[in-house]
Amino acid sequence: MRLPAKNGGIKINRYHQFKMMFLAQLKLTLREKQAWFWGIFFPVILMVIFMVIFSGNSDEEFKTEVAVVDPSPNPASEMMLSQISGLPVFEVKSGKPVARDRAEEWVKDQEVDAAIILPGSAEASSVTLLINKENEQGAAAQAVSGILDKFIQQANLMAAGASPKYDLQYESITSGTNELDYTDFLLTGMIALSIAQGGMFGMVDLVDMRRKGLIKRLRMTPANMGIFGLSDMVMRLLFSIVQIILLSLIGVLVFGANLYINPFTLIIVFLIGALSFNALGYFFSSFSKTTEAYMGVANICSFLMMFLSGVFFPIETMPEWIQPISSILPLTYFAEGLRESMVYETGIATAGLWAGIGVMTLWGAVTFLLGSLLYKRKAIAADR
Amino acid sequence: MTVLEVRNLQKSFGQIKAVRDISFSVNAGEVFTIIGPNGAGKTTTLEMIEGLVSPDNGEIHFGDLDWNKHAVSIKKKIGVQPQSSAMFDLLTPEENLNLFASFYDHARSAKEILEIVNLTEHRKNHVKKLSGGQRQRLAIGLALISDPEIIFLDEPTTGLDPQARRNIWDIILHLKELGKTTILTTHYMEEAEKLSDRVCIVDQGNVITLDSPSALIEKLTDEREIRLSFLDGEGAAVDADIFSKVLESVSKTEREGATLKIWAAKPEETLLDLFKFTKEKSFGVEQVSIREMSLEDVFIAFTGKEWRD
Ligand SMILES: Nc1ncnc2c1ncn2[C@@H]1O[C@H](COP(=O)(O)OP(=O)(O)O)[C@@H](O)[C@H]1O
Ligand SMILES: [Mg+2]
Repeated sequence: MRLPAKNGGIKINRYHQFKMMFLAQLKLTLREKQAWFWGIFFPVILMVIFMVIFSGNSDEEFKTEVAVVDPSPNPASEMMLSQISGLPVFEVKSGKPVARDRAEEWVKDQEVDAAIILPGSAEASSVTLLINKENEQGAAAQAVSGILDKFIQQANLMAAGASPKYDLQYESITSGTNELDYTDFLLTGMIALSIAQGGMFGMVDLVDMRRKGLIKRLRMTPANMGIFGLSDMVMRLLFSIVQIILLSLIGVLVFGANLYINPFTLIIVFLIGALSFNALGYFFSSFSKTTEAYMGVANICSFLMMFLSGVFFPIETMPEWIQPISSILPLTYFAEGLRESMVYETGIATAGLWAGIGVMTLWGAVTFLLGSLLYKRKAIAADR
Repeated sequence: MTVLEVRNLQKSFGQIKAVRDISFSVNAGEVFTIIGPNGAGKTTTLEMIEGLVSPDNGEIHFGDLDWNKHAVSIKKKIGVQPQSSAMFDLLTPEENLNLFASFYDHARSAKEILEIVNLTEHRKNHVKKLSGGQRQRLAIGLALISDPEIIFLDEPTTGLDPQARRNIWDIILHLKELGKTTILTTHYMEEAEKLSDRVCIVDQGNVITLDSPSALIEKLTDEREIRLSFLDGEGAAVDADIFSKVLESVSKTEREGATLKIWAAKPEETLLDLFKFTKEKSFGVEQVSIREMSLEDVFIAFTGKEWRD
């Protein structure tokens, strides 16, 4: 017998079910204070602390350090040298001209913002500026070339009406993929870390739901568990997008990070990375009986990865025996991938990038399969 | 009309034989109670019927439907309040109900259900802020959202205070009025007696006995325990003890100070004789009672064990 009043009988369709499940997930996430603390507040604070401590030389003071190379001293070069030394914005490293090799090294290692190579003879008419490629568009580089440009115009004027004698040649040196501004480095590392942690810690919900019997409860209904999983995943990806945007805004607006984003690469790296770390969390949840056990495992893994994957400091700065470990961790490649796509504007068709994506995919696929297997093994319910 | 029939259910978890042999059938519109001590196998039995645990042996039929072929149809027909009463703690009762409603194509409105389980006032509080009784009522509400024909309630009143328990009894009686079939488990004898049309007593995975509460009690011996306390102290009790021992229907007496307990097959006659005696001797009697037999006695009679809840 049916009860008298009826609810007009909403016809369920998959979309309605997805919508209701997604709304529930959204509310659960918004109301879970832990999620906000660990997912948003914690990474922001961590990033701010690291940036304040380690990127100390902020360019508030308009001073940039340059190297000067004077290949064969001549009247013209000497004149320019004295002029440059006199400019308050330039600080000439070691106070005198150095050999070209030395200057190039300094540029590579970012010990100076630029190297100025003076004309080789009184007749030569070019001044060469060496700038690290990572900084090409950076504020310091722009400032140096701008100032030098002005300076050369002055010099030309002083050459008494003669046709412009000196012009500025522009060369850049790149030192490979790892030396970029620390702010950019840390920002992308932090984004990678917080998304990774979101995945590794976030699946604690699953343990909690299982412990409370909620999974069992849902299986007593005709609810489509596939749709439930999907809505959960979409919610998690959205949360990660919020993390990316928020951290990027803070990095760019407060700490002057420079982002050159290749959107297509970014989307691929983001999706693969986020899904892989969620798979890792799913795997942890499959063998953790309690939330405490889960958090223990997640903490150990995230702690190890945090320091071994080049999030805060380049992997190259770590002891050599650690580097092989770094090279198998997924976070290494996630951070690298985000750097490629958010700082170097790298296109998707790069071998190195695909190798990284491959490693992450492997981690994701293997842990997901293992997790599913463990869940099946001890499934409380018959799969009917 | 039989809506559910289970035959020879068995389930072991490793070495533990949770359910050894359980069979019964449930009629449409009745409140059918499975009662037994902790670990008797009640939850395991329900979970097999609800399709969560596959039985090692035995059959389960919902009319013409069974789990192998008609899982979705059965899921739409039944409403379940599991013992863990799982729900989303950070959602409100209303949100929980609306979410569960989306799983069914014919669901009742959250508003109606909130009225039935008397939670309208608390519909906008987070579930984690609800009291035990309110939470349990919501769990029942979630079982009702699909407007099911058969409702399973696994120990809905365990751990609740008397008032909260009574509120849940009211809901169960209301469901009966609406013509629903309810399958209830409990380990409160009083509750089983009060609510059930039929009671199935289980112990150690076996059905001990099954019938209506009154029929079960009637099956017990006619003997009743009479209790008398005397105003005039121990002396009067000793005299009355000697007198009652010779009465025909009395099988046994027991005295403790001024209180006398008498077991009699015909309690009314024995009382009449006793009152004649006390009037003759002009003894003052302070308290008289005949203890009613309860399901507890049924359990004791069938298992030879004490009943503890
Ligand atoms: N999943 C399980 N694994 C192992 N033992 C179980 C499991 N479920 C129940 N049991 C055992 O089966 C017996 C019956 O349990 P249960 O059906 O929960 O009893 P009740 O609901 O009557 O208290 C108990 O001894 C319990 O410990
Ligand atoms: Mg139980």
